[in-house]
Amino acid sequence: MDFSFTEKEEAFRQEFRIWLENNLPDGWLDGKRDIPEDKEQYSEFLRNWQRKLYEGGWAAIAWPKKYGGREASLIEEIIYQQEMVRVKAPPLVNYVGIHMVGPTLMQIGTEEQKEAYIQKILTGEEVWCQGYSEPNAGSDLTAIQTSAVRDGDRWKINGQKVWTSFGHLADRCFLLARTSRGEKKHKGITVFLLDMNQPGVETRPIIQMDGKHDFNEVYLEDAIAYDADIVGEVDEGWRVMIALLMHERSGIGAQVFTLEQQFEDLVVLAKEVQEDGQPLIQNPFTRKTMVDLYTRSRGSLLNYYRNLTKTLKNGQPSAEGSMDKLIVSELTKELFSQSLSMQGHQGVLWKEDAIFGDSYWQDNFLYSFGMTIGGGTSEVQKNTIGERILGLPKDLGR
Amino acid sequence: MDFSLSEEQEMFRGYVNKYLNNMGHTKTAREFIKGDTESYETIVSGLAELGCTSINISEEYGGMELGALDLVPVLEELGRSVLPGLYLETNSFAVPVLEKFGSEYQKQKYLPAIAEGSQTFSIAWLEPGGSYQPAGIQMTASLEGDFIRLHGTKTLVPDAELANSLILPVRTGGGKGEGGISLVIVDMADLNITMLKQKNIDDSRHLAEITFDNVEISQEQVIGSLHKGWDILQEGLLAINAALASVMVGGMEAIVGMAAEYAKIREQFGQPIGRFQAVKHKIVDMKVDLEMARSLAYYANWALENESEDQVQAIICARLFAAEAYNKAAANNIQIHGGIGFTEEIDCHLYVKRARFYEHYLGSTQSYYEKAAAALGWCEPEKVEQF
Repeated sequence: MDFSFTEKEEAFRQEFRIWLENNLPDGWLDGKRDIPEDKEQYSEFLRNWQRKLYEGGWAAIAWPKKYGGREASLIEEIIYQQEMVRVKAPPLVNYVGIHMVGPTLMQIGTEEQKEAYIQKILTGEEVWCQGYSEPNAGSDLTAIQTSAVRDGDRWKINGQKVWTSFGHLADRCFLLARTSRGEKKHKGITVFLLDMNQPGVETRPIIQMDGKHDFNEVYLEDAIAYDADIVGEVDEGWRVMIALLMHERSGIGAQVFTLEQQFEDLVVLAKEVQEDGQPLIQNPFTRKTMVDLYTRSRGSLLNYYRNLTKTLKNGQPSAEGSMDKLIVSELTKELFSQSLSMQGHQGVLWKEDAIFGDSYWQDNFLYSFGMTIGGGTSEVQKNTIGERILGLPKDLGR
Repeated sequence: MDFSLSEEQEMFRGYVNKYLNNMGHTKTAREFIKGDTESYETIVSGLAELGCTSINISEEYGGMELGALDLVPVLEELGRSVLPGLYLETNSFAVPVLEKFGSEYQKQKYLPAIAEGSQTFSIAWLEPGGSYQPAGIQMTASLEGDFIRLHGTKTLVPDAELANSLILPVRTGGGKGEGGISLVIVDMADLNITMLKQKNIDDSRHLAEITFDNVEISQEQVIGSLHKGWDILQEGLLAINAALASVMVGGMEAIVGMAAEYAKIREQFGQPIGRFQAVKHKIVDMKVDLEMARSLAYYANWALENESEDQVQAIICARLFAAEAYNKAAANNIQIHGGIGFTEEIDCHLYVKRARFYEHYLGSTQSYYEKAAAALGWCEPEKVEQF
């Protein structure tokens, strides 16, 4: 058992830390972390940040050198995430491109696809989104109905996608569409690299319960893709999806590190909030709740490290990632729920009227409800753990 | 970065696991409950032959001089089989306390005997009234020349009849505070004491009330400095709590395995009950808690072994989490088994009872919450009340 980092790893951390301090937007480190809300400005802001990372050589550290990466080790990826979380860095607008589409194309894409897309993912010139979920295909992705029908060397795509992150900013979509219907529902799905800038594609914003707009609906009406845009084989998209998931080596590390930080913030809140003239932390009931949350957030981090150790030894992620996802998302929800409770009735005050932390607690409380749904609901994670780790029988219908 | 037990540690777990399974897994506990200690005695010497009892004793005294983490596989396995006896109290309390605070005389007297498996310790802390606070220690220990005269009663003493010696906090000085408490060793063979068995829901751990009526022991039996026993006790508690977390992890491991296996074979409505999400997800919740508890327990023992800055909170939180999760999982295990789980025949109840035995063992849950909060700097340590 060894929790230390090597000298080389520590040097890597220092290098990235210094780079971040010199390159984050002005005032960011002093707490001025406003991201513009206007769509054009928002897009420009995030693309600029992506561009900066690229210019510094920090956009896609795990990629092979020949594609402009650093061939970073898994531990270096972890350190990279820790440092990003430490400074609360802006989101990566091209996360999907860098972590999923790029590596998948490198592995199974055609030479033409590699040539056409990989460099532009790295520079942030082209932003990618995922086209998976549909109104009737959420937890059960095999139920997708969006269809792609061959028409010469073209495919006509019709249907609707939903929960598309950054869809309104994206240039291209990694799209799942049904190309045939057979006995097995996961057969007959094909992956297309779809151009978002065409008449048959329309994106509409989804306004979330926190008032923000991170997701979109994408309507496809005779949208066009070509044979050359297919990844892998026709009807074998499910395999591509599995290959893609294997590139998520570091799992939900970023969320685990974020939770650690959020817990520290909660301690500060418990000292700030007063109850009968005393800081709330003086109340033994509060302390018990806090110790309990501390224990479980430490537990989630340690469990993540233990699973990471397995990934390091086996060379690929395992079903244990589902456990990390389940734990950290449920715990985050609980933490923010607790943060509002601690503020008493004032906890309902929102936005400019919030008493503590510029509405950080209220915003995150509202946002946290999405965490146990997006990326696979807690119920789906429990099925995975039950079936793949404990060997329990599969649900009927799957 | 490597957060896992080493290959050697896992290999050693394999030996202990195989040995205990060959001995019938929970059979020893079941026979022990019925008063048949033969299998228990075989296991005590068997574990010593495997080297379990010498792991954390210095080479000088016949041990392997390994650390807290090397005990983890053994502790988990003992917990898995709900084994009776005093391994936990001996190797994870008496050994670290004697190694650090014992006199040369005490080390010579006890450590080699522990290593070879012929010496066990129990802890006699509570007195009638049941308080773990310093004020709860009222057993008098008057100094008379080279002797100390003990007078008073200790209660809820685990497995006293299996112990060769007891470690007990006694009052050598006046007052009700921490000062004036000393930690002494009493050898059972030398004594004329009255021991009354106390009925316990977990009869795989016996409890007794022991009355000391002006019992004389040598001053050489005081561990560390006179009147400074409370601080020594706290250090011993860190070691035993880290170990206890691992014992409970072992118990949970057995429970999750039982529940999952049963849910695969038990059929109702024409299908295995593990297919129903109401059952499946309950077992998954137990599994998730088990892995969290294991991660916390590994870290607690690592922190203990390396004396890391956060060792107090790491150890207490591991114990608290494991105790709560163990009790919850043990209860759910009965529910998953349905009617059969409620019977004496199936092992489910052994774990429910053992989990409850450990819940407030050597300190209440509430007092440990407050100790953790103090260690995290959220309240003043002196304000922490013992319950």
